Amino acid sequence: MRRRGFLQRFMGGTVVMAAAALPYGLARLLAPPAQADPRTHLRPPGALKDDAAFVEACIGCGVCGEVCPPRCIRFYGREGGDHVNTPYINAAEKACILCNKCMESCPTEALTETPLLEIDMGIAQIDRAACYPWVDRGICGACVTVCPLGDKAITFEFANFYRPVVEKGCVGCGQCVEVCPEPSLPIWIVERSKGTVAPHTV
Amino acid sequence: MATNTGARPFFLWRHLNKLRWVTLSVVFAMLVLLPMLHVYQTYVASHAYDLLPPSEQRFYDLMEVLTSPFTGDPAEDLDVIKGTTWSGTLFGFKLSDPLAAVGQMAAGLTVYWPFLLTALIPVALTVLFGRFFCGWICPATFLYELNTNLAVWLHKAGLRVGTRRFDLRLKYLVLAVGLILSAATGSVLVAAVYPPAVLGREIYYAIALGGFGAGAVFFVITLLFDLLVARRGFCRYLCPGGALYSLLGRYRLFRIQRVVEDCNDCVKCNAICEFALDPMRDGFGQECNNCTACIAVCPTDALTFAVRVKDLPYQGPGHLGRRYRDLQAAEGGRQEAA
Repeated sequence: MRRRGFLQRFMGGTVVMAAAALPYGLARLLAPPAQADPRTHLRPPGALKDDAAFVEACIGCGVCGEVCPPRCIRFYGREGGDHVNTPYINAAEKACILCNKCMESCPTEALTETPLLEIDMGIAQIDRAACYPWVDRGICGACVTVCPLGDKAITFEFANFYRPVVEKGCVGCGQCVEVCPEPSLPIWIVERSKGTVAPHTV
Repeated sequence: MATNTGARPFFLWRHLNKLRWVTLSVVFAMLVLLPMLHVYQTYVASHAYDLLPPSEQRFYDLMEVLTSPFTGDPAEDLDVIKGTTWSGTLFGFKLSDPLAAVGQMAAGLTVYWPFLLTALIPVALTVLFGRFFCGWICPATFLYELNTNLAVWLHKAGLRVGTRRFDLRLKYLVLAVGLILSAATGSVLVAAVYPPAVLGREIYYAIALGGFGAGAVFFVITLLFDLLVARRGFCRYLCPGGALYSLLGRYRLFRIQRVVEDCNDCVKCNAICEFALDPMRDGFGQECNNCTACIAVCPTDALTFAVRVKDLPYQGPGHLGRRYRDLQAAEGGRQEAA
């Protein structure tokens, strides 16, 4: 008899716990985990370097997106998994203008105010097998012209006006990615450790 | 014959429910207006007027008419009010939901004071007024109460609507489970199931970013739950934020209370209460969201606000009601017989 009473209480407790976990299970079902392409999902400037720490700190309030003048900050939706409702920037669509507003508005310091030259969203990497001037002396220079940091971040190769070379000062805002006219996008923002030249051409 | 004591409730309390609807409407309208203003700001910042299609130009003109009396440079000046009820900025002053503060602490297992301070004023107000956020500000409440009205109409049309009851303590377990899961996964999970946070950001996504995110379906499911399973069921049984507010407001200083001398036991207050509480017997506990519907509906003005940290226990039948008169008559008869 005692065993039956225990079992009944155990089952009752399980049912109650399941009921309490129901909303979370539902929310999770609506946003299943998925791998996002890091090149199209940059964190906004000033984001904590450790992405796990960033997700812990971000409460998903969306204020960074709501103050963004070019409206480039978007949010993980149904494909988000644990990252759901955290901000990202797809530089190919709309790039960051380094205005600092998102860092100033973030209530939790998941986006920390950072001096302009210390921002690290990544670094631009050029595929020399796809960039017009590198392939066949094409005339372009759009990325060098648009770069908000000037020759600290991207310059022309010595004595060649149109072949772009990324410098160490690049903060990864992605203006060059947005402006690049080549449809196959030979320029991307990647992690700093991956270097400024796409490896297969070296 | 029982008479009124003369201590009438302050006459404005009867109209608080209307004021509450004004407040809820304003908050909801702001949640819709702020994303539109943000879109307008982005157009201003990029000097895009001549490049916009005609419909967007009309939108631009409308926003310009709305904001130009208050702003010199819309791209900068409109930044003074940003965000949602989950977390936002009012004239440089950051305010956050207490659940956001607690959820973030649980997710990172760290205490970050500058953020916790933004939740200080809401916490202080909740300690004084209980679940006032749920009744007066929460944008989801606005839709949930309209949803209740819909349920009433469906009921009148002969359809079955949800009237189930569960244990009110379930929501505390939901809060605890949410915080434990947040700590386990390292993300602020409560944000994904808390209707005001979900609603605020989904409206922003829909208006400014061109599509709903993951939460819109969740919110519709909570509406259906309220409609088909239990009236105001999500707020009462499942909402983790409601649970936190209930706990904080357990010993709230201001609470609705019955004036037994003026009550005629008509039970209209119990019938109107959205949370199915028991205003007629002072059965509020920590659940009352100060919606004041009971005060508004009371035909004899027998409900008022009192400064007490505890409900009065059941004070017996109302003095204007038949049960009290019968009791008095029986008392009197006994005294005459003695």
